[in-house]
Amino acid sequence: MQLLLSSVCMALTSAVIGNAYYQKQQFYPAVVYITKSNASMAVIYIQFFVIVFMFGKLLRKIFLGTLRAAEFEHLLERFWYALTETCLAFTVFRDDFNPRFVALFTVLLFLKSFHWLAEERVDFMERSPVLGWLFHIRVGSLLTMLGILDYVLLIHAYNSTLVRGPTVQLVFGFEYAILLTVIASTAIKYVLHAAEMRTDTPWENKAVFLLYTELVIGLIKVVLYILFVVIMAKIYALPMFVFRPMFFTIRNFRKALNDVIMSRRAIRNMNTLYPDATPEELRQSDNICIICREDMVNHSKKLPCGHIFHTTCLRSWFQRQQTCPTCRLNILRTPAVNSTAMPRAGDEAANAGPAAAGAQPAGGVPAPAPAAGADGNQARVNGPLPGGQALPPSFADLFGDATGLPNGLPNLAGLSMPPPPAMPMLSPFMMPPQFGYFSPLPPPPIPLDLTKFTVEELRAMEGHQREQIEQRLKLLQNINLMLDSAGIMMSQYQSLASRLQLTAVPPVSAAAGSASAPANAESAVSESGVYDKPSTSATAMAQLEAHQVTPTTTAAVAPPLPAEKVTIEDLGADADEDDVPSTATEAVSLPNSDADFEENSSELGELRKRRLKFLEERNKFTNERTTAE
Amino acid sequence: MAGSALRRLMAEYKQLTLDPPEGIVAGPISEDNFFEWEALIAGPEGTCFEGGVFPARLVFPPDYPLSPPKMKFTCDMFHPNIFADGRVCISILHAPGDDPMGYELSAERWSPVQSVEKILLSVVSMLAEPNDESGANVDAAIMWRERRDEFNAIARRLVRKTLGLPP
Repeated sequence: MQLLLSSVCMALTSAVIGNAYYQKQQFYPAVVYITKSNASMAVIYIQFFVIVFMFGKLLRKIFLGTLRAAEFEHLLERFWYALTETCLAFTVFRDDFNPRFVALFTVLLFLKSFHWLAEERVDFMERSPVLGWLFHIRVGSLLTMLGILDYVLLIHAYNSTLVRGPTVQLVFGFEYAILLTVIASTAIKYVLHAAEMRTDTPWENKAVFLLYTELVIGLIKVVLYILFVVIMAKIYALPMFVFRPMFFTIRNFRKALNDVIMSRRAIRNMNTLYPDATPEELRQSDNICIICREDMVNHSKKLPCGHIFHTTCLRSWFQRQQTCPTCRLNILRTPAVNSTAMPRAGDEAANAGPAAAGAQPAGGVPAPAPAAGADGNQARVNGPLPGGQALPPSFADLFGDATGLPNGLPNLAGLSMPPPPAMPMLSPFMMPPQFGYFSPLPPPPIPLDLTKFTVEELRAMEGHQREQIEQRLKLLQNINLMLDSAGIMMSQYQSLASRLQLTAVPPVSAAAGSASAPANAESAVSESGVYDKPSTSATAMAQLEAHQVTPTTTAAVAPPLPAEKVTIEDLGADADEDDVPSTATEAVSLPNSDADFEENSSELGELRKRRLKFLEERNKFTNERTTAE
Repeated sequence: MAGSALRRLMAEYKQLTLDPPEGIVAGPISEDNFFEWEALIAGPEGTCFEGGVFPARLVFPPDYPLSPPKMKFTCDMFHPNIFADGRVCISILHAPGDDPMGYELSAERWSPVQSVEKILLSVVSMLAEPNDESGANVDAAIMWRERRDEFNAIARRLVRKTLGLPP
């Protein structure tokens, strides 16, 4: 089609020229003849446009290769708009309408189309799977050439306006200035895209750079258009032909401005409102960002609803919508209190590890350092309150303490009185292997004065996220477990004591009798306790298994049976002389004095009282917790 | 490293190739351009579209997956939710901001977690159960509601047409 048209045109032109030569026989008269004849001139003009078109095709072949369908479509669309605008411009400058004027506008349109094509090409960079070196050479040379041409023509227009005053060159100067901004933004985009392609990892800040480029270029364009309209309106008439592009430029600028504002807001929200996802959380989820379908290695954020995405993916989505992409939770409306400061502070605590935990006691409440450091998850959920005011005892503290109950007891006993001689002997019973895991530091004071805190503080401490509730339930279960195991130990104490009384009371002096009197009274109870024992321990074990408490904790409850031997060994030194079906261990007894034994039995009573008291307090505290919730 | 939209489309293409859902084939028309896909959708069984294979074209925006793609059937379709020119009108293809029909819940709109696969599955279920509230093709909607036999006859004719059989 094009070939046919251009060959027809060629034939026409050669016919016209041939005809002129045939009639005039000489060059000059022939030229005069052609210029005098309107029909010939029309043919020549058309030939001129055909040549320009072919030249354009040649350049396109060189610099762009074949156009994609979309590119061609866009080019045609924009070209027709530009053509109508040029025709409108002619009406303003109808006085100096001449072939040169038409030629200048043709050149402008010609260059404009290449600017559009270059822009499209560079925009498409991001979407093309493979780009060879040819692409880079083409785009690079095209951009350079267009930039130089724009600059030269702009300077020319500027100089001619300075020399001859405002003419049609004003329009060209302005048009080339606009085209120069287009080239500048295209070049920046090209550099950004090319830089991203060179790296293997996605360049996260590219989108931000692009946004700001759009904004700045948009601003320059808007200023140029407004200046132009004002100048033109003063000198000639209102330039109708720039209204359409000006409208689009202003709209684009507004969009860019809006994008930048939204992007900034999204970044701010993400930095302040949402915590970074921790490696554990990433492991727990399937570790794929569902927006870009790629692995999340770093820079991912967790929304209040628990969904995790790449920071950059979220930012670009939040520019449009402030909802969670997965569950559409409106993230701006969720209460900020448990999602803002607390997890963040917790993160810091988890990161800082022992240092942060060490800092906590300074805040007023001593915290078991390893408990806070060892389990980052716990600490993170129960981060301190914002503001760093006298730190309320966090869950981690309580939890650590609750699990450390068995070793908390001897400490408690040891605090108020000088360590009795039996204590080191008892310690194997009291201190299970768990000891190594949980801190030997003094546990926090148990009766936590929750009344000191305001309702808000309590709320903040509580937390309403699933994780925190899970943690809370786990804590309660653990307390329950501890109580059960304490009960088992109690019954063992009692059975021991009763056995002691059965055997040892008769030889004991009156001094010991006073101490053993209540013990005697309890012996009846202890009978039932002994019967209870297997069942309770069995349930405790079942619970242990059910709650998947770590083996160390299991060990904490397991010792009772061997421990029994040990204590008997310790306490019943004299007893085995008198009676009792003795075990092998009892046979290998230590020669303890009577006085020692007396001390031991009174000690035992003391210890039992303390233990009961402790259990009471513990119960009270548990109730407090449950009612608080 | 290519753009994120391209990487995501490549990932989806890979996934669709490795684990294609039943009755759906989809992929880029050319490997040079991952932003235009062609899909073949089998008419769901037990419906008037059963047995048909309907070709459609998906065009993805440069900012996919932040914006939804456009989907258009390239064969003749007669369905309450498909415009006469083949454009598909379902809520999953509409960005949450705009609501052309004014009835869609934002929960069923486009979001970046949606995918080509989900779109195509929604289209299959749309073929099975038209939403006659939508006015993409009012004639089809009315016919579907009031003269189901006639609608079924047209659908069956379309099915034969897509298979290249005489009506």
